Amino acid sequence: MALSDYQRDMEGCSRCSSCKWVPFNQIKSWRFAKNCPSICRYNFHAYSGSGRMIIGLSLLTGRSELNDNVAEIVYKCQLCGACDTACKVYRDDIDLTEVLLELRAHCVEQGFLMVEHMAMIDALKREDNVLGEPKAKRGEWAEGLPLKDINRERCEVLFHAGCRYSYDPDLRGTVRGAALLLLEAGLDVGIAGAEESCCGGRAYELGYRGEAENYAEDLLSRVKASGARILVTPCADGYAHFRYLYPRMGKELPCEILHMTQLLDRLVREGRLRFREQFPLLFTYHDPCHLGRMGEPYLGDWKGDKLQRPMSLKRAGRKGVYEAPRNLIQALPGAGLVEMERIREYSWCCGAGGGVHEAFPEFSSWTARERVEEALATGAEALATACPWCVRVLRDASREMRAELPVYDLVDLALQAAGIAEKERV
Amino acid sequence: MTTATLDTWKEISEAAYQDLENVVGTENVSREPAVLDGYAWQPTINDDPAKWVKRPVAVVLPSSTEEVQEVVRICNRHGLKFKAFSTGWGVYSGPTYDNVVQIDLRRMNRILDIDERNMYALVEPYVCGAQLQAEAMKRGLNCHIIGAGPACSPLASATSGWGVGWDGIYMSYGHRNLLGAEWVLPDGELLRVGSSDSGLGWFSPDGPGPSLRGLMRGSTGALSGLGIFTKCALKLYPWPGPSRVRIRGLLLDAKAEIPENVRFHLCFFPDRNRLADAVYRIGEAEIGYLATRTAVAAFIYTFAPHLLRRIAGTSNLRDVLSKGTKWGFVIMLVGASEEEIDYQDAVLRRILADHEGLSIEAMGVPAIGSMVFMNFFRVTAIPMVFRMGGLFSTALDRNDTWDTQLDWAEIGESIKRKWIERGGILDDLADNPFMALYESNMWAHCEEIFQYDARDPKHLASLEPMFIEFSIAAIEKCMEPLSATDARLRKLVSPLMGHYNEWQKKLSGALDANRAADTGMYCDEIDFDFSKVEPELKAKLDRLTEKFRWTEEGPPS
Repeated sequence: MALSDYQRDMEGCSRCSSCKWVPFNQIKSWRFAKNCPSICRYNFHAYSGSGRMIIGLSLLTGRSELNDNVAEIVYKCQLCGACDTACKVYRDDIDLTEVLLELRAHCVEQGFLMVEHMAMIDALKREDNVLGEPKAKRGEWAEGLPLKDINRERCEVLFHAGCRYSYDPDLRGTVRGAALLLLEAGLDVGIAGAEESCCGGRAYELGYRGEAENYAEDLLSRVKASGARILVTPCADGYAHFRYLYPRMGKELPCEILHMTQLLDRLVREGRLRFREQFPLLFTYHDPCHLGRMGEPYLGDWKGDKLQRPMSLKRAGRKGVYEAPRNLIQALPGAGLVEMERIREYSWCCGAGGGVHEAFPEFSSWTARERVEEALATGAEALATACPWCVRVLRDASREMRAELPVYDLVDLALQAAGIAEKERV
Repeated sequence: MTTATLDTWKEISEAAYQDLENVVGTENVSREPAVLDGYAWQPTINDDPAKWVKRPVAVVLPSSTEEVQEVVRICNRHGLKFKAFSTGWGVYSGPTYDNVVQIDLRRMNRILDIDERNMYALVEPYVCGAQLQAEAMKRGLNCHIIGAGPACSPLASATSGWGVGWDGIYMSYGHRNLLGAEWVLPDGELLRVGSSDSGLGWFSPDGPGPSLRGLMRGSTGALSGLGIFTKCALKLYPWPGPSRVRIRGLLLDAKAEIPENVRFHLCFFPDRNRLADAVYRIGEAEIGYLATRTAVAAFIYTFAPHLLRRIAGTSNLRDVLSKGTKWGFVIMLVGASEEEIDYQDAVLRRILADHEGLSIEAMGVPAIGSMVFMNFFRVTAIPMVFRMGGLFSTALDRNDTWDTQLDWAEIGESIKRKWIERGGILDDLADNPFMALYESNMWAHCEEIFQYDARDPKHLASLEPMFIEFSIAAIEKCMEPLSATDARLRKLVSPLMGHYNEWQKKLSGALDANRAADTGMYCDEIDFDFSKVEPELKAKLDRLTEKFRWTEEGPPS
């Protein structure tokens, strides 16, 4: 696909500005009524979903030219999908996220690149992860755990740790805990260890399509060889790309794909995992974009006039993962759940995605602080989420704000609730 | 697509740009063409097939009234024009000249006060209707939300343009709710209209002294042609329901907890006369929180456009809908107590019985109740009107009696039917009025909506001839025709309406010596291009304009 393939989508923009707001029937206050970090931070219409579509149309029709300023606007977006969901509440014929992705690919094709993104892609090519960490150390997180090596053995459940969990020292206990929980439930779990690679989704989002396809091909062959019936990942980014991007690229993985929260929820409901420890805390839950609205599975493409597209093929976030994480919180003995105003399909982004955390850290942090403000407004004592990127930036924001709001990965909560000893974790 | 509107566009001078930067800061001004085009793409209610309007030379984001004043003064000094922009719905928000600084008021986004006792809110331009309503509801109050939907700025519709909405039966019309405004005049001076200027609070839009509301706003509004409004007070109304309506899910999948004090009737009458009489009775009885005549087909194309396409192609189903449900009426009742809602319900049922009307009580059907409640209460489904073809436009009549508006609906339907048969617009079964009542049906409103796809050249080619045809019909029936914001139409009809635009031009001249305001939507006049209009229609228009033209002695005999 190319930008020009979406010209009808762009011409379809009625400029109603619904893309800037939480879907209107869910607006609950003045303070938390807006959904798009980019337009909220930078204010010109060009920074909204509609504005970027108009940029695309302007470029395609020769009214304006791509330059560094315009490319920066294109990149100052987390690709969180909130604009697309809001648009699709009302429209059938516009695929806003696809336009945003095509704009990025167009920028890359035209040579308008962000230095920080180039560094990520170089790291990816060199070390198979966007953090630039040594590939040889990717599997170190699992040292001492009785996990199968899928490079040598077959397994029932393939655990894909993801880049950030594999390398972020703060999250080391979480990823080990995730594996321990699966073992506790008696599952036959394998990992790729040092051979595990990035899912490639971040490369796709940055506009580097070829790299993404290579990684999809790599994982596809690995899954086939492992014989795994289930692929589970605690990384929301990876989950979304396995569920949507891979099948869209024709690389559908031949197994059930679950996010860690879905599998934990299943194990708890089946009684294979028991939560015993008390958690007398009031939580609020942050829906990661890539687990929620962007975690919707690939529904198939519609080749004809999109005005005639069936609702079932409209990607509006309805089939994202919303219940499993909430079920887990509610299964924690003594814990309570209070919702923020912007949740589920219309959740506010944490700020980390789309290469923003790397290229525009101030904007990323601003976005995360806004979310922490919203969490604090609920009166919750703690914030829980289910994505390593969200955990990272929300924890940093909470600390920067000196907010008394601990940020938990749901895996950590499950681990403690299950009573798995600390000494086993690290 | 055309790029013709860029032919005369020039970059802003360095000196003017520096001055703007000095006022709002580097981060809040842009002259980047792709950014500016974000303000030049204005397809909605735009009958120009190009859909691009003039590109501004710069866009600024002031954060205060003082900054707005300074930006306006800079425009005066540098021979530039300015155009205000709030939530930006519709073609009226964009520039009509080549040298316009677009003043995007997005950073002025606060609700400054909600005075519960005196029932008003003081707001800035970028507060949207949904935000104000959400906050008002927490205090047992509600605000008027216009038909263009909850994304729109209540300040904009109260001070600067129209203000029609389904809740008009209870909460009136945009400018009728205005309780004072802060007004940056075209030379940058500040004027406060109403009681707030005397330090008495924002309870009255007038005095002491002569009222300026008529000059400020008039009938349609000056759409930034007379300056910029930076805050205003708006009347709020009682909302005896919950502080928040709990809803799970988004629009079509939404499950709402419908308040117990709300009832919603879809009413149908056997013919026009009985509908008309019943609605007058409803007004006399002073019941209703929200009321409209909206075609059943409009509900279907909003919620299920695929279904309407099927129905349109099936003659029996077409007849069932377009004839069987033609004289329909929607009314929502809200009671402050069980007794009151029962009373209103009983009155409505009596009126229905007296006029052989039938009613479906929608709140009794949970799925329908969920869909329609927020749709009407917060006007949430309005952006879905774009689902059928991507765009719609409207043949506006001016506010008048309910009977006159029913006339306009029938005229609009007959014109549309012809264009549907030609394939010039989409088939919505032709009868598709947007009608509302004001203040217990003291007066009413009707727009004939038509649906089209701007990506279809045949549809684009229909827009201007249809526009003329609607105009001719309005003049022929002695109705105030269409939108007064179109400079082509203004030139045609002003002489038929007491030369009203001469007064607007004088007012503009008095307040705006440097012609700094973009007056394209207010008092400019340009010639219509009749090249796409059938000669006999043009001849008919010429005869009518000659017949109805005012002379120096007064109206035509």
